[in-house]
Amino acid sequence: MFIMKADREKPAKVTVGIPKALLYFKYFHLWESFFQTLGINYIVSPDTNKDILNKGINYAVDEACLSSKIYLGHVAWLMGKCDYILVPRISSFGKAGKVCTKFYAIYDLVMSTFTDSDFKLINYNIDSTNSENERKAFVKMGVALGKSKSQSLYAYIIAKQTQKTQLNIIKNEQLKLLNKDGIKILIIAHRYTVLDKYIGEPIVRLLKQMGTTPIFGHVVDTKEALVRSEEISKTLPWLFNKELIGALALYKDKVDGIILMTTFPCGPDSLVNEVVIRKIKDKPILNLILDGQEGTAGLETRLESFIDIIKFKRSDEID
Amino acid sequence: MTDVKATFPHLGNYFVPLEVLFTAGIEVDYIVPPPITNRTLELGTRHSPDFVCTPFKYNLGNYIESLEAGANTLVQVGGACRLDYYGELHEQILRDLGYDFRFVNIGSTKLTKPLTFYNILKEINPDMTLKNIARVLPVVLKMIQYIDEAEDFIRKNIGFERNPGEFDHTHQRFLLEMRSIRSKKELYNYYIKYMNIFKSIEVDKPKKPLRVGVIGEYYTIMVPFSNHFIEKELATMGIVIDRWMNLTNSVIHDFRPEAKEHIKNYVTFDMGATAMYTIDKALQFAKKGYDGIIHVKSFGCTPETDAIPVLQNISSDYKIPILYFSFDSQTSEIGIKTRLEAFYDMIIMRKEAV
Amino acid sequence: MSTKLYLGLDIGSISTKGVVIDAQNNIVASEYIWTEGDPIGAVKKLLPIFKEQLGGKDYSIAAVGVTGSARKLIGVITGAAIVKNEITAHAIGTISLYPNVRTIFEIGGQDSKIILIDNGFVTDYAMNTLCAAGTGAFLSSQAQRLGVKVEQFGEIALTSKRPTPIAARCTVFAESDLVHKAQMGHTKQDIIAGLCKAVVANYLNNVGKGKKITPPIVFQGGVSKNSGVIKAFEEAVENEITVDENSHLIGALGVAILARKTRAEDDFKFEIADIDFVTRGAECGKCSNNCEIICIYQDDKLIDAWGNKCEKGTIQK
Repeated sequence: MFIMKADREKPAKVTVGIPKALLYFKYFHLWESFFQTLGINYIVSPDTNKDILNKGINYAVDEACLSSKIYLGHVAWLMGKCDYILVPRISSFGKAGKVCTKFYAIYDLVMSTFTDSDFKLINYNIDSTNSENERKAFVKMGVALGKSKSQSLYAYIIAKQTQKTQLNIIKNEQLKLLNKDGIKILIIAHRYTVLDKYIGEPIVRLLKQMGTTPIFGHVVDTKEALVRSEEISKTLPWLFNKELIGALALYKDKVDGIILMTTFPCGPDSLVNEVVIRKIKDKPILNLILDGQEGTAGLETRLESFIDIIKFKRSDEID
Repeated sequence: MTDVKATFPHLGNYFVPLEVLFTAGIEVDYIVPPPITNRTLELGTRHSPDFVCTPFKYNLGNYIESLEAGANTLVQVGGACRLDYYGELHEQILRDLGYDFRFVNIGSTKLTKPLTFYNILKEINPDMTLKNIARVLPVVLKMIQYIDEAEDFIRKNIGFERNPGEFDHTHQRFLLEMRSIRSKKELYNYYIKYMNIFKSIEVDKPKKPLRVGVIGEYYTIMVPFSNHFIEKELATMGIVIDRWMNLTNSVIHDFRPEAKEHIKNYVTFDMGATAMYTIDKALQFAKKGYDGIIHVKSFGCTPETDAIPVLQNISSDYKIPILYFSFDSQTSEIGIKTRLEAFYDMIIMRKEAV
Repeated sequence: MSTKLYLGLDIGSISTKGVVIDAQNNIVASEYIWTEGDPIGAVKKLLPIFKEQLGGKDYSIAAVGVTGSARKLIGVITGAAIVKNEITAHAIGTISLYPNVRTIFEIGGQDSKIILIDNGFVTDYAMNTLCAAGTGAFLSSQAQRLGVKVEQFGEIALTSKRPTPIAARCTVFAESDLVHKAQMGHTKQDIIAGLCKAVVANYLNNVGKGKKITPPIVFQGGVSKNSGVIKAFEEAVENEITVDENSHLIGALGVAILARKTRAEDDFKFEIADIDFVTRGAECGKCSNNCEIICIYQDDKLIDAWGNKCEKGTIQK
């Protein structure tokens, strides 16, 4: 039997490399817990830095979005440091929604870009319309790494529980912040943009330095958000954007201003941001397009004037 | 007859079957959008978000010009990429501009399934009948197929016509007269007649002419204005142009399983939207020993951008040159001409050397 | 018998270059002047210079070749035997000097190109037309901003030990970044060296993207005179870069060679400088394309016109 064979052979210890970019920021609890439970070695590439970004720019097609350039930079960093690289491929979550075609393509994009290097990718494919769900994908991945089906399934269940617990903690923390006094700014951005140490985090830091409380659109109850998103947009096809727009509907009355943070030239955001700007008229909105090259000086000025306007409005209302 | 005046954005010459679908099938008036000109693009660009893909801007320009021409019902479809979300934003922008209209968003309904199609089209005209649409839809689908076949033939021969303009004029006549056809049988006879006319046009075609394959993103490849008429430019250089992408091959039939099988040495998964077709055809042109390939897309088109590294691998494995064009609303005409001319020089010099 | 000579003209948006060659491709006369937005004027200025350089020799100009962005216009008024695009002209010119060349870098006033060659044939190329960052015009404007002559850029750059990183994705970003860096206290040398590096990085990430850069590499175009950029290129591609002493004239040389190969037996006279040529732009107005039609008149007679997208705009001569 297949499971027994896998158990008996005891393959050499392998190391999995995880690029700290794109879906990492959504799934890192799940992935890391899964590998830990199975006792599989893994390394995560470091936070994005100038060098990783430049590597990514070197490898990527000029027009590709900044987030995918950063991703290729992380993959390049992992080359030669591990046996497998985890490049998830996702095309559909079924009825819940679709994703940008970047996530359909990223596996083959990596394969076709690094033709000079010798490396292996783990097959991790989620395509609900073709009945390839997350559970199946994880079991396959565990088996490919030499574990049994039951071991892999067990690890997946543990990992899923860990992810849920962790996300609940984060959600509860944000709930407290939402009821805080002072100026609150809602950031509507993909996790891989706002949580990236080189791209989004400097902006979050600046907002805090300016005495405001950042509220994150991605920290939200997904089910609730998906329902509420219809208040703003009824035909939005992309799950990740839909979740953010739902958060916007949920949080918008509790914050003083909204920042839309987008990496250039993100396809879904190019439309969704415009819909938001045209439909939300009762809150100030700042549309920040980031291409990784702008100096912080310019950003600081834009953020400052945005916050100043909000402060000004507030003091007006108090008077 | 209702007072509905419906319209749909331009896509190649498909306004002909669309007009038949709306007038005979759905039984409403149809406003053919005025031909795409610089004004269309300017209008569309002015009111669109900055880095949205160019087809969005062209569609918006078409809507505005159709509204000016009296349209009151705008129709939009969905797709496998950003197109899926065009409709909602188009509607919002046009409302903000103060236009009065009805917007019917068909979404991703399959054109080939009459019943679901019917239920959505009923939104355009509640009085339309299933019987009618069931009678007209097959004619419309055949029309699309015949247009595609005729245009495929034209592309392969127009560069060699003895009397310049003959293909173009015949082509225009072919489309114009087709607009009044309502039955499959009449359409078939008409098609046979015209194919004979096309085939009788005198051409001076060398035994081994230069052959160039055109691949790329759905809209840009099918709308000559949006690709700066590159097929026309190539034809004047005396080149056989082979372009597989059209409605017959992409919407009426589903060739994705075949495509996936052909390219399995290059790609494991579906890379989204038309990327599979782009890669499949590039590989096919390479294997057939074509002299070159031209890849066209609108700026920032994600699936086609992601296909580029794969195309580069095919290009180096088969030693076939691929020229990449990315069009936005400000592409310089001079740059396109220079690159096309250099492309021609490159492939002819290679050919002469062999 | 008089010697047969061949004239090659390369009329770019920023500068106009010309060479006269003999049957062995030797350059017997050459000149480089600013186009200043007037290609016809530039050519008229150029021709008497050639006449003077050739002096009392017994010669005839058997054929004229024209390249560059104004090639069509100048092709008509010079009655050129051949009008060629810049990519082919540069490739031919370079191959005549360096038969083994595999990669050509070219950075001109307003665009840049890469041309890949194998066995004397162009196999691939790319050209940047979307963005001016990293071209000669960009460097000139930055030089002005820093208060130095662009000709001195190279020398100054070589004195820098720590080039300042400059964002060069786009002219607008680069400019604001430059101002910012200067205010932060970076030295002029370091900023100039940083600019040279930025030009190279931008070039390699744009036109050079996905292209296999194989030596021998030849670098040409106006910017190839800048030793700072040469050094930055050599560091970036880890290879030696060859720059010809006539690196700014290669396009003109290439098209002169192509003119010679046409075997034309014209007898071009430099006196064309005295003929009155006028171009007039007219808006077609027959549809909402409003095509800008260019009409060329020689002594008030219409000799050519173009610019129309459709048949409606065709002008009868």
